[in-house]
Amino acid sequence: MDSPTSSLRISDQSRRGFAALARKIIGQYGLLIILFIITFAFSLLRPAFWSINNQINIVFASSLIGIMAVCSTFVVLTRGIDISVGSTVALSGLVAALILESDGTLFIPSILAGLAASAVVGLANGLAISYLGLPPIVVTLAALTIVRGVALLIGGSILHLIREPAEFLFIGGGRVLGVPFPIFIFFAIAALMLFIQVRTQLGLTVFAIGVNERAATLCGLPVRFVKLLVYLISSLGAGIAGIVLASQVSTASANYGNALELDVIAAIVVGGTSLNGGQGSVHRSVLGALLIAAVNNGLSILNVSTDQQLIAKGAIIVIAIVLGYWLQEWSERL
Amino acid sequence: MEDSVVLRADSLSKRYGAVQALKNVSITLYAGQTHALVGSNGAGKSTLVKILTGAVVPDSGTIEINGKPMPVGDPRTALDAGIACIYQWPNLVAELSVADNIMLGHHPTNAFGIVNRKVQRRWVRNLLEKHNLQLDLDAPVGSLSSVQQKEVEIAKALSLDASVILMDEPTAALSHSEVEKLFRSIEQLCQQGVAVLYISHILDEIFRVAQRVTVLRDGQLRLSAAAADLTKASLVDAMLGRELSSEVGQAKPQDQVDRPVVLECRNLNKEGVFSNISFKVHEGEILCITGLVGAKRSELVRAIFGADPADGGELWLWGKQVRIRHPLDAIRLGIGFVPEDRHQDGLFMQLSIGLNTIMSSLNRVTKAGLLHPGLMRIAADEQIGKMEIVPAIADYPVKNLSGGNQQKVQLGRWLMGNTRLLILDEPTVGIDIGTKASIYRLLRDLASNGTPVIVVSSDIEEVLTIADRIIVMADGHITGTYVRGFVTQEQILAAASGEMN
Amino acid sequence: MQRKQLMGTLSLLTILLLIVIIFSLVSPNFRTLNNLRSILSSYSHIAIMAIGVSFPILLGEIDLSVGAIMGLVGMVMFNLLLIHEVSGPVAIVIGLGIGILCGLVNAFLIVRLKLQPFIATLATLVAYRGIIYGISGRQLFPETTVKAITDPIYISIDGRIDIVPYAFIYLILLVMITHLVLQYTRWGINLYAAGGNEMAARLSGINVNRIRVFAYAFSGLCSALAALILTSRMRSTQESLGLSFELSAIAAAVIGGVSLRGGVGNTVGPAIGAFLTGTLYTGLTMAGVTTYAQPVVVGVVLIGAVAYDKFLASRRVNHRSQKDMQYGG
Repeated sequence: MDSPTSSLRISDQSRRGFAALARKIIGQYGLLIILFIITFAFSLLRPAFWSINNQINIVFASSLIGIMAVCSTFVVLTRGIDISVGSTVALSGLVAALILESDGTLFIPSILAGLAASAVVGLANGLAISYLGLPPIVVTLAALTIVRGVALLIGGSILHLIREPAEFLFIGGGRVLGVPFPIFIFFAIAALMLFIQVRTQLGLTVFAIGVNERAATLCGLPVRFVKLLVYLISSLGAGIAGIVLASQVSTASANYGNALELDVIAAIVVGGTSLNGGQGSVHRSVLGALLIAAVNNGLSILNVSTDQQLIAKGAIIVIAIVLGYWLQEWSERL
Repeated sequence: MEDSVVLRADSLSKRYGAVQALKNVSITLYAGQTHALVGSNGAGKSTLVKILTGAVVPDSGTIEINGKPMPVGDPRTALDAGIACIYQWPNLVAELSVADNIMLGHHPTNAFGIVNRKVQRRWVRNLLEKHNLQLDLDAPVGSLSSVQQKEVEIAKALSLDASVILMDEPTAALSHSEVEKLFRSIEQLCQQGVAVLYISHILDEIFRVAQRVTVLRDGQLRLSAAAADLTKASLVDAMLGRELSSEVGQAKPQDQVDRPVVLECRNLNKEGVFSNISFKVHEGEILCITGLVGAKRSELVRAIFGADPADGGELWLWGKQVRIRHPLDAIRLGIGFVPEDRHQDGLFMQLSIGLNTIMSSLNRVTKAGLLHPGLMRIAADEQIGKMEIVPAIADYPVKNLSGGNQQKVQLGRWLMGNTRLLILDEPTVGIDIGTKASIYRLLRDLASNGTPVIVVSSDIEEVLTIADRIIVMADGHITGTYVRGFVTQEQILAAASGEMN
Repeated sequence: MQRKQLMGTLSLLTILLLIVIIFSLVSPNFRTLNNLRSILSSYSHIAIMAIGVSFPILLGEIDLSVGAIMGLVGMVMFNLLLIHEVSGPVAIVIGLGIGILCGLVNAFLIVRLKLQPFIATLATLVAYRGIIYGISGRQLFPETTVKAITDPIYISIDGRIDIVPYAFIYLILLVMITHLVLQYTRWGINLYAAGGNEMAARLSGINVNRIRVFAYAFSGLCSALAALILTSRMRSTQESLGLSFELSAIAAAVIGGVSLRGGVGNTVGPAIGAFLTGTLYTGLTMAGVTTYAQPVVVGVVLIGAVAYDKFLASRRVNHRSQKDMQYGG
């Protein structure tokens, strides 16, 4: 189990030996190992999978999901869920595009506006879940529909072109030292989130809430405020991803990000963070995002249709959850 | 009164993790006889009841009813075999009506499963009349007071036409007149040949109602005899085991009168829960709040801590009035709270001892806005040492500790912070004698160093051992205030039963 | 309790009536019989599914796979009727049977394997969708995509009397039967008990697991019925049949007063809830509100329903802590 801090690690001193170590590794990383095997299988079917170009593509593709996954990990750690992130991606990109449509020089304002829009969504989610006590699945489900509707209202279902300024297009399309810029953004945000998780009171409180929310309240931890924050962070992550996406494809649309939340949750869960809260880590979501991107890539190379891709990914999430649960139980019982 | 055996339980044992809740306990119930089961909190009475009603599967042992062996672990089997139970906490469905709750699981139905509500009403009305209970048949149980809910629970057990009725602290939350009604019902039942197992720790009731008495302590059978052959003193001896006081040692007599007042409650009230609560806590003292189950002591201290704030009244801390609406308020004022249920409310079971210890004092291990691993480690080790926690490893997961050590972790957490008043709710339930003693020592040291301690406890022996002052509550009111050395157990029990001081 | 539930159902009906009145005033097209027929036709099967899914919800659990079960039954019907040329009545029996079977699988995962209902039904949702693709006759025999079901008995499933579709009649019958069972039989009381306080139910000798099995099987059965109605209407099916219907069904149930916590609600509510959302959608479209705004409205209604339910819950329990109701203090 991943611990909140590196120095006070949770280790079960009562079991030692190679067998115990092996059990621990399988219990914690079993899922990733299994998926690694699956992607290896892809490569055998299509050797093109392993080309450098394809690999860079994979990491590139993982950035979008990755940014969202690392920002939504805290939500899952508090035993919540945020399925509104896909719609928020569309909203944020659209808002930025609309600002740029009116005046192509408003580079910074467009980004701020996009982020502000996603912040509003996050705050609304957080308030409803934390202060009104409504169930996260229902609130973010309603948010998913409401935000999508709002995006359609302000942008219609057409594609909005973004031709300028160059700075904006650089975010998604530029390269630094040959490496696509989004990858830098992804890793920077991941590093920031990991730092928050490991070194700040916020990070520790997130774990405390996930492990035992009532005890956390009785310890005087600012539970309601932190719960609000995690949904805010989750939506901001989606907001950043929305801008990166819009920049990447030079267009924005209210229909983007459809079913993207599935990928995000898949990345988080496959990485080993438990939907029950209190267990997991940001770095695991990074690995999960990479693997989901690899799976997506593999499925495309194999020419699997989009519907079937959806099913395949859904199946992977579910198998990941069930297997993860069983592996956990099994490694603990021994 | 016949001598036929109705229920024979043989060598029942049950272990929960590190705790042996029940060890080789046997009990025999005779038709028409009331058999009292006695013991203090954590002695194993509830576990025995749960096994007999099929709610819990014992590790070993057998049960025979009316001469036939009864399979364990299934409530339906127990009910069909004729075992009914009045549970300590009413087991009711809030949204269903009183009548539906009473007849739950055995409604009168026709061939199609349709409930014959007319017949049901008649049955329930007859039952209530017979036992002198007044209840509105159609009211949803969730809208009733705790007394009424208890009566529904009683009626539910009585409706089953059982050959054995278990009653787990049946008079908790009942007033004098209701208790009399219950006793009359018990008499009626015994005349009809029903065997009654009466669980209580109120000695007067036991001698009034029971013909046989069995005493449990620490999960084991200590005494089983006819009530006529026992005296109150011998019963108390068996229940408490006099060795304990010598282990803990006598607390030093404290002179309370002139000590400064740390906490003063004036007229605290919470609608439907408690009212008119006024008392003071002085520097250096251990104040015990005792009473029966349902006296609302936990609710009171949770209100003081801000976990479930009171509706009205005043709180004064060191002479200044304060408002506590949230645990954060209380903690900032220096109040600490060790809740009753350490699994659900107190500890982070999956986290380490170290993390559990520092969780209320994160600001003390923060440097430049960030958590400092070195400071965390030092602070954790310091508390682990002071509390003598075993094993003394900061990374050890709390869920693997014994109950006693788990409580010490909680103590350590509060002592690490700026705690100037500590409240504990039933801190030693289910903990072995050795650790109990060390916790008592820690509390006594804490109080002697100036930090007053409030302990909520149902264990009168514990109260008499550690308290400097004692407050007794019943049904949301204070019924007695005493100073140690000037009160007897009987007085406390009387006050706890609702007789005002 | 009967009184409170009655009040709740009545207020739902009042809201529905209000919505109908408002839209009738706002747009002339709304007031037509044609529109009424259209609404009854378009939302009766959703109401049926909402009733089905409300049984697991009454237990405090959830069934996310109802849409997928619908799709699966639809595809099986397609295959049986168009490829294997099975007769109508036989196909109908098999269809309903498959629905029940799917529900039993859910129950198995939850009761035997002890998976959380959310995860178990998420798993079956994905699995059933996958199976739809796997057995899809449309993919294996592309010529069937243009064929239509012609079995007369099967087609008659979705007929109508004047403006009232048979689907609405099935719905009314279903509401009556389930209402009878829930309010007047001991199984109904046991279900409410299991959802309201599982421990109390257990200790009263109620076999909660058996109730679970029944609840999920019934949920599957309702999805199957909905599938029969739609496939009969379309004379065919698609792989995407029932996609995201589970959301509509659950939303309808929640709006209809079935609390996600369990133990509260009836089956009239979900039916009204389905028509409430349906009427809202239709009315908004006719009033000229862009289709884009509709999900927003429904989302808000859903939040409102959940918030109201939470408000009711906090008043229900008032000062009595939940602990007082449970054994093991």
